[in-house]
Amino acid sequence: MAVPAAESSDETLATRAAAGDTSAFEAIVHRYQARVFRLACRLTSDTDAPDVLQETFLQVYRHLPSFRGESQFGTWLYRIATNAALMHRRAAARRPVESLDAFLPRFDADGTHAATPAELQVVARVDELLDRETLAEKARTVIARLPDAYRDAFVLRDLEEMPTAQVAQVLGIEAAAVRQRVHRARLMLRGYLSDLVGVKP
Amino acid sequence: MTHVVCASGVELLMDYIEGELPADVSAELAAHVAGCARCAAFVASYQATPRILRDATTVTLPADIEASLQAFLRARLDTH
Repeated sequence: MAVPAAESSDETLATRAAAGDTSAFEAIVHRYQARVFRLACRLTSDTDAPDVLQETFLQVYRHLPSFRGESQFGTWLYRIATNAALMHRRAAARRPVESLDAFLPRFDADGTHAATPAELQVVARVDELLDRETLAEKARTVIARLPDAYRDAFVLRDLEEMPTAQVAQVLGIEAAAVRQRVHRARLMLRGYLSDLVGVKP
Repeated sequence: MTHVVCASGVELLMDYIEGELPADVSAELAAHVAGCARCAAFVASYQATPRILRDATTVTLPADIEASLQAFLRARLDTH
């Protein structure tokens, strides 16, 4: 008797789906749809995410026969989802880029942090100081304000919690470049969160 | 060996956390942070940033969007 689709490994499902087994494909969709939707919201917007979700699984279906198992199935699927999101974003009207440099940390002439320890520490408590709705709204807005290259690396590495090497693979850049972009994004976002609760970064 | 101050320490922070720094530089940075209340506070807030934003942007898939996806795929798959 066949193993129920819901309990099969990704790779088994992929092989069966590529051979035309619709229930195996449905199991893949069921397994990944929530994660793809969340990724799409983070890389595009709540409004665009449903289209990205549909496009992703259509592409997955079409490209399943060419999945060779050279990378993990999840990585392969994430790459398709990321590309679908980036294509969608490119097709949308260019948004004006607003600099987040004002939120970078400040230093005295001798290279010491200008802010006090208490001021620097406040970011770690932002989620206690702000209500959930406000923080969710501000988080979506500021992530969309990041320069695209920083946003993509930050979303995959820090929000989707992919290992750096895998982010590099998905974005087609060096791991060192991923680290540099994620670092800049963290610095800007950290300062933004501080500013949100009225403390100069 | 260069002398780590807060500013240069911040620049090295990501590589430090990911274990990408040479051992001597890494040790010097760790020593600076251990003795600098500002850097200790900064590192804590730097590490909290991804967690806070991850929690704030975790969404669930709404049932109507899931239903649209299924209808969309069913229509496409039937024609292939």
